[in-house]
Amino acid sequence: MTAPIYEARGVSKRFGAISALDGLDFHLGAGEVVGLLGDNGAGKSTLIKMMSGIVLPDSGGVFVDGTPVAVQSRRDSQRIGIETIYQDTALVDSLSIVRNIFMGRELVGRFGFLSHRRMRDIAVDVLRTTVHISGIDDPDREVGALSGGQKQAVAIARAVYFKRRILLLDEPTSALSVRETENLLSYIKRLRDENVSSVLVTHNLYHAFQICDRFVVMSHGRKVVDVSKADATIDDLTRYVVLT
Amino acid sequence: MLGVSRASTFGIIDKNRAMAWLQRLRRVQGGNILIVFLAIQIGCVAAALAFPSDFRYLASANVSVMLQAIPTLGLIALGVGALMIAGEFDLSVGSVYTFTSIIAAALLNDFSVSAWIGAPIAVAIGAAIGVANGLITLGFALPSFIVTLGAMLFWRGMILLLHGALSIGFEPDPAFQYVFGGSIGLLPLSFIWLALFSVGFHVMLQHRRLGNHMFAVGGNREAAYAIGIRPAQVKLIAFALAGAMAAISGVFSATRVNSITPVGGAGLELQAIAACVIGGLSLSGGRGSVLGIFLGAALTYTIQDVLLLMRAPGFYLDIFVGALIVGAAILNQVTRRGAPS
Repeated sequence: MTAPIYEARGVSKRFGAISALDGLDFHLGAGEVVGLLGDNGAGKSTLIKMMSGIVLPDSGGVFVDGTPVAVQSRRDSQRIGIETIYQDTALVDSLSIVRNIFMGRELVGRFGFLSHRRMRDIAVDVLRTTVHISGIDDPDREVGALSGGQKQAVAIARAVYFKRRILLLDEPTSALSVRETENLLSYIKRLRDENVSSVLVTHNLYHAFQICDRFVVMSHGRKVVDVSKADATIDDLTRYVVLT
Repeated sequence: MLGVSRASTFGIIDKNRAMAWLQRLRRVQGGNILIVFLAIQIGCVAAALAFPSDFRYLASANVSVMLQAIPTLGLIALGVGALMIAGEFDLSVGSVYTFTSIIAAALLNDFSVSAWIGAPIAVAIGAAIGVANGLITLGFALPSFIVTLGAMLFWRGMILLLHGALSIGFEPDPAFQYVFGGSIGLLPLSFIWLALFSVGFHVMLQHRRLGNHMFAVGGNREAAYAIGIRPAQVKLIAFALAGAMAAISGVFSATRVNSITPVGGAGLELQAIAACVIGGLSLSGGRGSVLGIFLGAALTYTIQDVLLLMRAPGFYLDIFVGALIVGAAILNQVTRRGAPS
């Protein structure tokens, strides 16, 4: 395997009395899809948020391409090339689909005025080509009026449009239909062929087994298992998640 | 289709076209209130044409008074509205309105500082008070409602402490007086200023990143943060704008009447919030338009004016404006639920 493009060494994060991350080591290779598994409260979402720069670790270090970097905000993680689909989708209900996709990264013209038409065209295109979800062909619709699956599709479209090197997906399929889920999984595979790495957090081991190259099982903020797909079966994974 | 006669086809098309036009209008942000506003204006104009001697709505004196009254509330409501969109309140704007204009007047009267310099100082102080409200609100994670309620009383008290309860004159040089208090025919320049500020706020909210971030932060602070927006920074700017606009409104009013009453701004904070709510802004943030804010302020004064023209006792105003606030809130809620889905 090639040298990791992203590596966290010995990261810890406490929330009051709870240790969400406890000296965790985690790495991700180029074009690698890692399944991040574990029961509720294992620290998966905290790790995703830490990688995204919205939770700051109390201790430990982050290395990108072998060089130490300080990820202290979402902007820092953006610079590294990380895009995240958050578990709670991180969308603003009172705003339209287009505005949500480009929130914080609005396209502007020469004088700093928003390029509404350009953003709208891109949104239409992204929604049509990457996530095939029914009912969201109108990008001017308010996100608050969408179903759970449609919201997830918007969050996916946003991450997909801005993706560069690393895509973090925190339970991205929880509200998707079977066919929509298949679409997303095959899309992650296609991204891997373009050398985009992904971290997929899921409770569905079958989904994970379908597309992941390696599995990391977490428990109480620690990494308890780190196994490549060749060395594991679904039964093994189930046992790791349930028993640890 | 061929069997339908020409005349009735046209009838249907016209009706459909009118309905489609109405639908489009409703989809515009603030479109609901625009329809209500136009309906009331048409009713008033029709009544004025029908009963020119009893209902003098179109009399030049009436038009001029109304156009002069709207900017006071309108200017404050712009700042309060932008802050509401960003998810916070400012109840101190009424006190800031008076406090800062007294500063400008004191600079002019006691220190002979020209209004051209005194007024910007007053606006800067207004912005600074807004920033202070913001820093306390954000720094201690308090509801801005509480912080600015305190600020409202604090600055109201400071007015009486520093100045006393007497009225103070404000008579700037003729050039200042004309630019901010003059008029072209029936049209007061203060109304033109309000229009310019409205355009400015509209551009900021709809066509600049800053405004887009205000909507995002007000609509869902956590989501905005997770996507790389700095909520505190955005909100702080909105607080500063609210304070600055209160001061600007105060200077305009002082210039118009050439005097300042220390208790003059009381109640303006709630009127401004009411105007915003009438205009379709959400109390929970993330939703609203400048057109709505402007019309909300204009509608409040239209109703006030109509009641005055009909010689209705003063309490009718409260009854009507109260009903208007709740009615507008209901209208906005119902039409939002029924939004195309």
